[in-house]
Amino acid sequence: MSHQNKRYQVNLFRPKTGHMRDEVLIIFAILFGWAICTFGFQIVLAVSRGTGAGDLLTRLTFFNLPLHFWFTAQFLPLWFIVLCVVFNVYIDRITQYHSRRRDRSYE
Amino acid sequence: MNDSSWSVFVVLCVLVSFIVVGLRQKSRESTEYGFGGRYTGRIGGGAAIASNWMSAASLMGLAGLIYLQGYQALAYVIGWTGGYVLLLVLLASQIRRFGKFTAPDFVGERYGSSAARLIAAVISIAISVIYCVAQFKGIGMIFSFMFGIDYTRGVMFGGVAVVSYLVLSGMLGVPRNQQMLYFVISVSFIVPLMWLARKLGYFWLLPQFGYGEAIADLSRQFSIDFTLPFAQGSLFGWCALCFTLMVGTAGLPHVLSRFYTVPNIRDARWSVVWGLFFIALIYWSAPAYAVFGRLLEAQQGHQFSPAAARSMADIIVLKTAVSAGLPGWLVGVLAAGALSAAFFTVAGLLMTGAASISYDIYYSILNPRASESARMQVAKAGTLVLAALVLLLALNPPGLIAEITAVAFALAGNTIFPLFLLGIWWERANREGAIAGMLTGIVCTFAEPLLSGVLPQVGAWFPITSSALCGAPLVICVMIAVSLVTPPPPEEMRRFLEQEVHGHLD
Repeated sequence: MSHQNKRYQVNLFRPKTGHMRDEVLIIFAILFGWAICTFGFQIVLAVSRGTGAGDLLTRLTFFNLPLHFWFTAQFLPLWFIVLCVVFNVYIDRITQYHSRRRDRSYE
Repeated sequence: MNDSSWSVFVVLCVLVSFIVVGLRQKSRESTEYGFGGRYTGRIGGGAAIASNWMSAASLMGLAGLIYLQGYQALAYVIGWTGGYVLLLVLLASQIRRFGKFTAPDFVGERYGSSAARLIAAVISIAISVIYCVAQFKGIGMIFSFMFGIDYTRGVMFGGVAVVSYLVLSGMLGVPRNQQMLYFVISVSFIVPLMWLARKLGYFWLLPQFGYGEAIADLSRQFSIDFTLPFAQGSLFGWCALCFTLMVGTAGLPHVLSRFYTVPNIRDARWSVVWGLFFIALIYWSAPAYAVFGRLLEAQQGHQFSPAAARSMADIIVLKTAVSAGLPGWLVGVLAAGALSAAFFTVAGLLMTGAASISYDIYYSILNPRASESARMQVAKAGTLVLAALVLLLALNPPGLIAEITAVAFALAGNTIFPLFLLGIWWERANREGAIAGMLTGIVCTFAEPLLSGVLPQVGAWFPITSSALCGAPLVICVMIAVSLVTPPPPEEMRRFLEQEVHGHLD
């Protein structure tokens, strides 16, 4: 009877404790890094246009490219790869940790 | 032989070699590896993801738009790489644990409704068709460029060539060797670029990073500022396009199904990283073509009107190679890479679309007692009908290659992405919510052509290529609201989500 009354719940913002909680934490961390560098940088670029800081962004060069162009065209794809690597390493680790805790072999 | 017949020759050689290698691999595999095919490891899986992804949009359309719009078009580069972060982080492992890999399958199972499944199938087919129109435009432009014929005849010849290639490899039963495809695509894109950089006198070993000098020359000698941010659009436009392509990537039908072919979740996750790296190699190179194209044009003193520039933007990669005086066979290599990418993308999409017609619409809904062979017939006829439809649409293409592709991404991002996201991460999402969400998503995607005449504001918020920045959150809100006022989904599905999809280690 008690089984039937149990309410199953899955919610990104209210994860269960254990593996899912650790997973959701890293998901939010990665999404934060993803959003800040992609959209945050463009907003900074647009807002600072015409001011000293904005001029600095477009006039400084790196690999002969203006800094903002280098950041978007070359650094961001690299940054996405880094984010994915970090995510995978972390997930590998927590999967291993929680599998051991439950005394199960890892995949 | 003159230059252009050399290029045709190289293109033919490459396309035939795919069939030959595929057949040899097939005879070897059935003896050595059995019928399951072989597992190629994480790097091989990454190459397969990348080759599945590369299309005429990546190899021709991307450089064309950067050539036209400079910094503004980098939204395409970022959108088409950053989407993989979303896909990996939010959906990959969970969908794999859920065990359904096509959008109609997932929707039908998760939301337990054949109506929702039908809508999802129609949306998937529409995405495939729109995506294919862009590929056909690319194929048509390459054909008309190589043979010196007009675009209409180029598309027709190209369409016939694709369909015959598809039928031929289908009859021979050629398996797709995706690692080889990636190798061909990347080499044929990067080697001509190195040649180009060397010829123009820039750092050629890594032309991806050597084109900075060319940008500097462009602004010093010809005072063309290629990199000025938001010169050709707005911050909103940039972010909306970028976000749309990102959520579209995470919702695109033929991308998700890649997770099915890798034996375990851990390798599936790592092969995404390799796939992203292989994709980035191409995307780091595309701006270089655009910059060199501009530079050559300026050096040769050509001045094009915006309309003329737009009409040739999609072929700028080949045009640049020719006007820099690259040898004919090398132009052929370049064309062969783009053509094989477009051919295999079309083949994959038409077959998925036809399978969807046959299984999700014909078998599941129209005629549940259909035999295996009847379903096969429907699938074959479906492929031809879809190809004819695509050809018809491609005769009068509505935009540039990358722009047409972006509409497919917007549709995926507005409909399939929210459905997967909420389906995986919120157990309360139900059938009514899913149907309402998909219908809202369709309206959002086509809001600009449909509604902007009546409500001009709508066109500003939901631009046709980038409707998902406002669309996807709106669809998510609609799904949540409708789900909350209607009864929750069945107990069994919620248990499955909590215990299997999210509780596999509890």
